[in-house]
Formats: sequence, structure tokens, C-alpha cells
Amino acid sequence: MRSVLGAAIDEQADVTLVDMEAGLEHLSRSGGTLAYADVLLVIMEPSRKSILTAGRTIVLAEELGIPRVYGVGNKAQEGDREFFEEVCAEYNVPLAGIVPADADVIEADRRGELLAPGEGQAVRDEVTRIVDFVDHALVGIAG
Amino acid sequence: MKLGIVGKGGVGKTTLSALIAQEYVARGLRVLAIDTDSNPNLAFSLGLDAEQADDIPLLPRSVVVGKGGDGSMTTAELINTYGAVTPSQVTLLHAMRITQAGAG
Repeated sequence: MRSVLGAAIDEQADVTLVDMEAGLEHLSRSGGTLAYADVLLVIMEPSRKSILTAGRTIVLAEELGIPRVYGVGNKAQEGDREFFEEVCAEYNVPLAGIVPADADVIEADRRGELLAPGEGQAVRDEVTRIVDFVDHALVGIAG
Repeated sequence: MKLGIVGKGGVGKTTLSALIAQEYVARGLRVLAIDTDSNPNLAFSLGLDAEQADDIPLLPRSVVVGKGGDGSMTTAELINTYGAVTPSQVTLLHAMRITQAGAG
């Protein structure tokens, strides 16, 4: 996706968001899909396997030269904040947010549908904070 | 601004991608979402049904792995041709995975 994600796409969209397949090949140096990403959000859940994947991803992203790489905790239960904070400290990436586990999200997934308005409010609130975090990071660099 | 969402399978990439995309729409921005999964599900989280999702054409390989596209279409034409406007006002593109697209 080098060409799709080249400079021209910024004229067509204010935000281009790429939901990457699982796997790390999109971060390879030759034709890596995310070579032009301005920001990478590495999503984790409270599981060792997802943390190990995140660690490998962060190393590759930094080698690729992606300028802003942030961790995001997802499906967080009580007490998981410390877990995600420790992981991000270990990997030396800022933690952009911690999204709580949410029954509405699970139910929307089960239906295979859009999360309805009013559903998953705690999740939406945290997503708002994550977007604020990304925006502030971009302003900081640009300014 | 180009934002990549990555992580192990099952961590919630697609759900968060959809919610982040919708948050940018709510802020009045034009948002393009690209699903690179060979079994794309982002369409559902943006409000399309299965039939509508299946109707979205795959981006051609030359665009996905080429060094600058094949020059036959501008980026705007590509988005018009391959993009689907979803109920959440996010324009969605489907791209196949790199491993299936070959080395280019």
C-alpha cells in the first residue's frame, strides 16, 4: 500500500486509517504497507501473547521509522491499568489510552453490526481521549 | 494524517478502528478507512451488511504493492472507483493482504 498511502491520499482525506491484518509483514522494509504511516496504534489486550506481538511490532515500527508509535490497552478489566502501563514502560512507548471491556461491544460483535448510538459509552469516551492524544502529539511535532 | 492500527488477531483492532474513524467524522473530518484483512470485517463495524460489504471491489494489486500506482488513475479516481461510503460516513476501501498480492 505504499502508493495508496503516499502523499496524494492526504489531499483526498483528512484521516486515512488502516486496519491492518494480524501479522507483521506489513511492517517489512521492502514495500511494507505501513511505511508511510504518521502514527501507529499498537492494540493490546491483557494477555501475554498480545503483549509479545506488540513488542515485536514496536521494534519493527521503529526500524521502519514510523515517527509516532503508541500502545493502546483494550478489553481492560479492573486492575489492568497497571499491567498496560508496565508493558508500555518496558517497550518505551507512550500509552495512548486504556479501553475498558464492554458488554455492548461484545454484543455488537455478536450481531456483526455497528455499535448503536448510546451503546458502549465508556468505550466511546476513551476513544475520544485516544483521538485527543493523537491530535496533541501531531500538533506537538508540527508546531 | 495516516494512522495504522495493528495488533495480534482478536485484540479488537477492527472495533477500535471503526470507533476511531467515527470519532474523526464527528469532528468534521473526511475519513478514509482501509481494511487489509483477507476476510474484511471493518465494513460491518461501519454499518454495512454482508451483501454490501461483498460488493466493495478489491483495490488492484498494482495500487497496493506498486511503487506509485500504474498511473492510470489519480488517487481521487481510485477512491471514487473502489471506495464505499458507509452509513457512518467513513469511506471504506478493501485491500488484499500483501502475501496474497505477491512481491510486486
